[in-house]
Amino acid sequence: MKKLWRFLRSMRFGILLLLLIALCSVLGSVIPQGKEIAWYAQTYQQVHGWILLLGLNRVFQSWYFIALLVLLCLNLSLCSLLRIRRVVREGKGEIEQAAAWPIQTPLTAEEAERVREHLRAIRSREETVNGVSVWHKNRIGRYGSFITHLSILLVVIFGALALYLPRVTDRSCMPGESLTMEDGTEIYVDAFAIEDESGTLDYNSWIRLTLPDGRESGLKQIKVNYPLSFGNYKIYQQTYGTAGSITVNNLDTGGTDTFSLTDTVFLSADGRDGVWFDALYPGYIESEDGSVTLITSSSGHYTDPVYHITLAAQGEYTPVLAFPGESLTVGNWRYDFNDPVEYPGLRIKYTPGAVNLLLLLSFLLMIAGLYITFFLVPVLVKLDETGCTVGGPKPEGLRMEIELLTRKETDT
Amino acid sequence: MNVLFFGSLVLYFAAAVLQFIGTLFKKDKVARIAWLVFLASLAAQTAYLLVRGVTARRLPLSNQFEFATAFAWGIALMLLIVRLRLKADWLSVAVMPMVFLVLSYAALQPREVTELMPALRSAWFGFHIGAAVFSYSAFIIAGCVGLRYLIVSKKGSADELKLHQMDYLSYRMIALGFLLLTITILSGALWAEQAWSAFWTWDPKEVWALITWIIYAVYLHLRLRGKRQGTAMAWYAMIAVPVVLFTFAGVNTIMPGLHSYG
Ligand code: HEM
Repeated sequence: MKKLWRFLRSMRFGILLLLLIALCSVLGSVIPQGKEIAWYAQTYQQVHGWILLLGLNRVFQSWYFIALLVLLCLNLSLCSLLRIRRVVREGKGEIEQAAAWPIQTPLTAEEAERVREHLRAIRSREETVNGVSVWHKNRIGRYGSFITHLSILLVVIFGALALYLPRVTDRSCMPGESLTMEDGTEIYVDAFAIEDESGTLDYNSWIRLTLPDGRESGLKQIKVNYPLSFGNYKIYQQTYGTAGSITVNNLDTGGTDTFSLTDTVFLSADGRDGVWFDALYPGYIESEDGSVTLITSSSGHYTDPVYHITLAAQGEYTPVLAFPGESLTVGNWRYDFNDPVEYPGLRIKYTPGAVNLLLLLSFLLMIAGLYITFFLVPVLVKLDETGCTVGGPKPEGLRMEIELLTRKETDT
Repeated sequence: MNVLFFGSLVLYFAAAVLQFIGTLFKKDKVARIAWLVFLASLAAQTAYLLVRGVTARRLPLSNQFEFATAFAWGIALMLLIVRLRLKADWLSVAVMPMVFLVLSYAALQPREVTELMPALRSAWFGFHIGAAVFSYSAFIIAGCVGLRYLIVSKKGSADELKLHQMDYLSYRMIALGFLLLTITILSGALWAEQAWSAFWTWDPKEVWALITWIIYAVYLHLRLRGKRQGTAMAWYAMIAVPVVLFTFAGVNTIMPGLHSYG
């Protein structure tokens, strides 16, 4: 039992876990993830059964990958939390202890002076304890790896929360209209543009967010890399679409209504006569014999939009192509085909609580931890006229520097 | 502009060859000329990157060609700094060919200056990719030091202190590379959240950055264990280099994903 406990908190186990995580990652990058089962059957033929059995089609969501991460967190907590007491204890009174160290590297007076100069040059501080001088700097350095490990733990925890807690929905919204979220938050789309001033594709929406408590974001421009962050919401300019726009006029009353259309729909007052909107095409090619081929996809503006509709009148259905600016009359109703409307597809992300902020702080802590570990290396040296002893948690670099310094002395 | 690019490529090659001859036959004079040629090449390459950046009015880091050129430049710059600071002349013979190889890879890529695609127009762009360039460069230098260590230690007459110095330099370069790779990955996560709404999507490039990160984390821990294991660590630093190169170039080429720009 004790042996198992020791293994669980050992660095060896930590390294093993890291290597297993790396191995899973290699598999997860070599085997395309999250495809249809049939795709694996076709691509991997005989071995696809193994791939599916071992969950290699969804490695990063598999139970064993998550188990490895949990074990890593456990191992990290055990190994750093249990060590930190000792690290703190060793840090306390280390200068007094250093003063009592025996001299390990005998030096001539001249060499000792060289070492002293070097210690001064690297800005370590001299402190005299019982008449013995101890040089030190970067005492915080000993906590670097603890801070690093703690931050890794926090990044894994808050990272998992930041990946799995948010509610993400993709919604389209016509300019001039609003979306209402479940909690009552309202997203108003004021305008949308596909191109920037120079005519290159660059999708921009102008939106306003109103939270349930009435707070308003004001009208904000969003585009790729520049989402709107407000409250717990983040709104991204995700995609775009082009909708047909048909104005229906009642010739008797003079009333009109304009519809933005993306899906097949029947515009009719009585359910019998009217216009079926089938689709809107971005353009067409007219051949010499007068026949027309419709272009079915395009990026950016629709250059020559065409409405594909079906006219329903007195039980007869006639397919028709209509162009913006044209009108059709069926009974007492006139249908005006307007210029199409471009509209944004928004991605709406709701992240509860302060998860993102905590994750950001963990990131900063990790960078600080690594910086402290590697660039605030502790210096702890006892130095007198007979020699010196380099100690502290990371003596390697300084020992080498002193060896180089004193060797130069003997060389010259 | 091409003159500067190909000029630096040819000069790096010349420097590497001269340095090799100088080291092999212990001709200090040849090695000194190699260093001067190398400096000239670095100057030409720096000028090239500046001109390209000014012409395109952005950091020249946006496609595989520019990134590879900057990568070679990063390695060369690090060699310059390390050599000047530590008087580590012995480093050149291992690093110069690497600069040439990476720049040759760049030369094989399409070179036209392209408009920065909207997804890359962000304040994170320079930060994320700049950190990656220097991180990879530091790992390459560490690997080259490892190679030099293995060659020198084979000789038998090796000076123990010098070997230790090499081992320590390799470790320090990995430490620097590790910090920068961490910055690359974390800034990438923040950027991904700004651009695509998720911090992490297990995209192949992300996954390979993580694999590289783990490999160097393991190096750092192995090195902590008790007494010095110079030869093993030198092998490790060297064998990890192909992983870095794969993360840099291989992933984009053979694994499609969000990072497959240009
Ligand atoms: C997830 C990845 C990990 C990273 C990035 C990481 C990072 C680091 C770094 C940067 C150091 C300092 C190395 C140096 O000074 O050269 C370190 C030290 C150390 N790590 Fe980790 N570590 C990780 C996981 C672990 C795990 C799982 C253990 C498990 C027990 C562990 C145990 C240790 C120990 C005992 C030290 C020495 C502590 C000291 O010098 O004060 N690490 N780690």
